[in-house]
Amino acid sequence: MAAPGQSARPVLVCGEVRTCLLPSFQALDGRAAAQLLRLRADEHVRVSERPNLYVLSPEVLTGVDCRLPTANGARVRAVGTVAARAALTEGRVLQATAYFSAPATGPDLRRPWGQYLVRPGLVEPFGKLPEQATAQGVLRGAGRGELDLGMIAEGLLAGLLRHPLLDHKAPFKSRRTHLRWTARRAPDGEGPALVRFTLAEDGLRSMELRLPADTPAAAAAGLCEDLALHDWLLTTVVHMLDNSRLGAADGPSAVLALRPAVDHLLHLWMPRAHVDRTLGHLWDELEREPGFSRQWHSLVQRIRDQLAVQTIPLLHQALSTR
Amino acid sequence: MTDVVFRETSAEPRTQAVPLSHLSLELGHLYMEDFEAGPKRLGEHFAEVRIWVEAARASAARRAGANRPRISTCFLIDDYFSRFSTPAELVPLILKEAEEAGLTIDYLARESGCAVADRIELAESVMHRLVESPPPGSYGSRPPVSRTGWLANGQRSPGRGAALSEVTAWQPPQETAARNHSVFMDVELWSDKDGRRLWSCPFLAAVWQLARLGLLRHLGEPVLTPKPWDGGDFPHDWDRLPPLLQLNPEADPFSAYRTCTLMPNRFLAVEDAVRLVLDQIDVDARALEQVDRRSRGERVEVPAAVAQRASYVFYEEPAESSDEGT
Repeated sequence: MAAPGQSARPVLVCGEVRTCLLPSFQALDGRAAAQLLRLRADEHVRVSERPNLYVLSPEVLTGVDCRLPTANGARVRAVGTVAARAALTEGRVLQATAYFSAPATGPDLRRPWGQYLVRPGLVEPFGKLPEQATAQGVLRGAGRGELDLGMIAEGLLAGLLRHPLLDHKAPFKSRRTHLRWTARRAPDGEGPALVRFTLAEDGLRSMELRLPADTPAAAAAGLCEDLALHDWLLTTVVHMLDNSRLGAADGPSAVLALRPAVDHLLHLWMPRAHVDRTLGHLWDELEREPGFSRQWHSLVQRIRDQLAVQTIPLLHQALSTR
Repeated sequence: MTDVVFRETSAEPRTQAVPLSHLSLELGHLYMEDFEAGPKRLGEHFAEVRIWVEAARASAARRAGANRPRISTCFLIDDYFSRFSTPAELVPLILKEAEEAGLTIDYLARESGCAVADRIELAESVMHRLVESPPPGSYGSRPPVSRTGWLANGQRSPGRGAALSEVTAWQPPQETAARNHSVFMDVELWSDKDGRRLWSCPFLAAVWQLARLGLLRHLGEPVLTPKPWDGGDFPHDWDRLPPLLQLNPEADPFSAYRTCTLMPNRFLAVEDAVRLVLDQIDVDARALEQVDRRSRGERVEVPAAVAQRASYVFYEEPAESSDEGT
């Protein structure tokens, strides 16, 4: 007998991505990256070299049996598995994502555990899923004893950061960002849509999507990782420029402060490089407003101009001491 | 859908499929004590097993519907927990006794092949696939991925706290899927001694079940695959015998949608533990999908949960043959 509800399509997918600089003096090459992300000895790590070096771990599961976070305080118990995976871009930016899908309804009894394991990444509510309230609850963050995606993503990240390959000599200081996301099912016949992207304080971002029923949850996770990566790049470079006290600082120290951006970050900007084809166009929303790439290009230009300006006196100096 | 122009093989997961029978029927599992009891006892095992083999075949035929039922038989020899005799001496004896009972052994396996086969640490890989059943209240804090080497079907009775802590009342353990009352079970998966890990019998048997169900892969490739027997002599050293040997060239595929294991009833607890382990293994999703697709293609329903695909017949053991003549 096939498990009841096996064909039940999820109506909601929720996730959280944590993005940080890999604490390693050198960026990892493809082989080392694959070694880092080999969460299981018997499963392949996916390595992609075009258009940039992108390495994706196999997924690991965490079993949960707890209340779902809900914005209206509704107490809904849910059981299943949360999938988690890690990605490393250009051997430099490390991301950990935890995500789950949920169907509209579930059984009122807990099934034998093996039935949950054959549907990895699915968390079933007891009874009816309060879709809206759960989506909002996930974006707000888990309360005590509620399903905590951030904790699962953090757990994966913490495990990876203990890997002996890492020397913990990050080339510059940066902060982690957290992106929480939800994807509700789009009405039949409608394509995928990005409903909202919110930049909050303390590195917290949230995103609401609408996706057709046939979009795999992993594809949604991939899109969110891509957006989180680029948002992290913007955040980090803006922060670096702020700290360099452009104009105020004397030449060499401004150059020193900006150098890591040139060495490690400027080549990483590559929107939708590994995003599912059906979802790539959602980027357009953020390009229109606020204009992610527009801001990035302006930052890059500023850094290059600044470095050029700083080289002029050095050049003068060099010529005059001849 | 538009064609993809650019592809990268290292970026695409690939999982090779394995041929599948309807049923993998295990005719027995030989331990040293069985061997020491003499060939007559082995013959009695097979004579008893024969009766249940007929029943298992009939059941498989019914499930196969209009298809010709594909059934393969196998036999497992323990060379992991204790080494006894040699393949050259033992295998012909087993084959002879089976044949006399009217049975054909298609595949012969060594238990140590479930720990390491073709230099691949199978048991270790499967251990990393354990996803423990979360007791109510688990919200994402990481369960101790069986760091202790034990796996349970519920929450253990709280251990004794520090010596200075107050004496607390005893709390019972609790089975997570209990119906009114608990049947709590805690299974030892391995022990470490002198720097060497010894996998437990139930854990290796769980790996064995996964192999028989066609659900084991290593980097997308099937593992513990049968090597054909050339009909020659068997080696004098167990290590030189392939971990899985195909004795019958005409046999149906080794792996199957379902398994049925025929064993003496003293193994009941071990096999219950095997099911507990199987119920908490996150098996290769693509291997699972391949089985699903193939079975639906020939209109054979397969239980969703992996542990449900294994069935057993526990029979009464033949009397001690050492009391011969009584």
